[in-house]
Amino acid sequence: MSNSIERNPASYRDPSGFIFEKDGVLYRQVNNYFKEDFDLFIQSGLYDKLVNQQLLIPHQTIHDCISGDENAYLTILPEKINFISYAWEWSFDMLKDAALLTLRLAKESIQFGLSLKDATPHNIQWHKGKLIFIDSLSFEKYNEKNPWIAYRQFCENFLSPLLIMHHSKLTLNQLQLAWPDGIPLEVAAKLLPAKTKYSFHTFLHIHLHAKVSNKAAGKRQKDLQFSRRKFLNLLQSLEMVIRRLKSPSTATQWADYYKEATNRNGYIEEKKKIIQHWLSLNPSLKSAADLGSNEGYFSLCLSEHKIETLSADIDPNCINQLYLKIKQEKINNIQPIIFDFSNPSPAIGVDNKERERFTDRLNTELVISLALLHHLAIGKNIPFEKLASYFSKIAPLLIIEFISKEDEKVQILLKQKRDIFSNYTQTLFEKEFSTFFKIIDKQEIGLSGRTLYFMKRNEE
Amino acid sequence: MHHSLLYIDPGSGSYLVQVLVAAALGVAFFFRNIKNAVIAFFTRNRNKQDDNTNS
Repeated sequence: MSNSIERNPASYRDPSGFIFEKDGVLYRQVNNYFKEDFDLFIQSGLYDKLVNQQLLIPHQTIHDCISGDENAYLTILPEKINFISYAWEWSFDMLKDAALLTLRLAKESIQFGLSLKDATPHNIQWHKGKLIFIDSLSFEKYNEKNPWIAYRQFCENFLSPLLIMHHSKLTLNQLQLAWPDGIPLEVAAKLLPAKTKYSFHTFLHIHLHAKVSNKAAGKRQKDLQFSRRKFLNLLQSLEMVIRRLKSPSTATQWADYYKEATNRNGYIEEKKKIIQHWLSLNPSLKSAADLGSNEGYFSLCLSEHKIETLSADIDPNCINQLYLKIKQEKINNIQPIIFDFSNPSPAIGVDNKERERFTDRLNTELVISLALLHHLAIGKNIPFEKLASYFSKIAPLLIIEFISKEDEKVQILLKQKRDIFSNYTQTLFEKEFSTFFKIIDKQEIGLSGRTLYFMKRNEE
Repeated sequence: MHHSLLYIDPGSGSYLVQVLVAAALGVAFFFRNIKNAVIAFFTRNRNKQDDNTNS
C-alpha cells in the first residue's frame, strides 16, 4: 500500500506530519509525534474558528492510515488548491496581507492556548479569491514562558521583503527567489536606508535583531522568561509596522494601459466581442490563464464566463492593482500573479523539486495572450518558433493576438533598436504556430490592423 | 559571517532579542497607553461639551 503514495517534495522539514499524494488526491498525514498538539488544535475550537473566518483551509478527517506509515496518527484531506503560487510571484499588498494573516493567526492561537510555530509565506496559498493559511500542523501547545519561536522567520520572510520594497522598488520581490527561506536580517539591514534605524519598531525588529541575534547565537540563553503580555506586544508592534507600509506609488511601465488603449476606436471592445464569441462556442471551459493580463480587463471577462482564471503579468504594480480590485469586489475566480513570460519562475530548493517551476504548476484548458507577442518577439528577440513551442507546453487552447510590424506600437519598439526582424511576418507567425497548433479561427480586430487567432494544440 | 557561526542556528539568538525587544515595547506601550488615555479623557470631555451645546 505504501508503495503507491508519493510524498510531496516540499514536505520534509516538519516532524509533525507530511503531505502526500495518492491516486491524484493530496492528503496530509498527522504523525503520532504531533498527536497531543493536533488534538488540542481541534478540541480547543481554534480550528473551527479559523475555518469559519475563512483564514484556514478546511479539511476532512480520515481516520484510516492511507499512507501505510507506522508513524501515522491520522490523515486529513484538505480542500484542493487550484494553483500553487510562491511569494516571489505575489504583489506587494498580497505579501502584506499574508503577513497580517500570519500575525492574526498567531494572536488568535494564543486565546486558545496554542502558538503558531511557523511564519512563512509557503504556508499561505490563494484559495477562492483570497490568501488563506494551509498548514494545519503549524499550531502547537502554547507555553507562556517561551518567546515566539517563529519570530525571526516572520521578520525574514515578511518584514524584510516588505520593508525593502516599501523603501525601494516593487520589483525587489524577486529577492525572495534568491532567499526562499527569508531575506537574512543582516542583508535586509544593509539594504534598507539608514533612516530606518530611527524608526522605533523597524529598528527593533530588523537592525537590533540582526545585530544582537548574531552575537547571541549559540550562547546559552538560560532563564529567559517571556510572558503572554510580552508576546502580544511583540505581535502588535509587528502589525503596526506592517500596516504602515505602502506600495511605492511609482507609475510603472504598464499602468493606465487600458485608458489609452480604449481610446483607440473601440479596439478593446471589438477584441472583447470576438473573445466572448469564441468563449460562447466553448461553454464547457472551466479554467484559463491570461498571460500578459495588465490590470486584468480580459481576466475579468473570463471570470464573468465563470472560468477560473490565472491572471499573470510582468508588472508588479498592475498585479497589485488587480489584487486590490479582487479584494474589494470579492471576485473569487481570478488569481493574480507576477509572471515574466521570458523568465518564468524556476524550480528551486532541495533537488530542485521543493518549489516547482511555473510551467509544471500551470494546468489550464485555455491560454489567452493579448498584445504580448510583439513584446516577446521584437522587445526580447524571441523567435516565433520558440514562442510557439512554449505556448504548446501550456496551452491546449490558445487565443493569441498578432500585431504587424506596421502597427504604431511595434514601430515604437523598433525605434529603440535595429530592425533585425525580417522574420516578423504574419505568414511566418502562422507557419511556426501551425507546427504545434491548428488554427480554428482568425478575425481582424475592427480597423486596428491587428488579428486575433483561436488555436487548438495538435495532440500527438 | 564568522566561520564559527556557520555551525549555529542563527535563530537561536532571536530568543534574547525578543526579551530585549519586549522590554523596549513594554516601556513604549506603557507611555502610549497613558497618552491615549489622556487624549481620550479630553476628547470625551469635549464631546460631552459639544453634546451639551447641541442639545
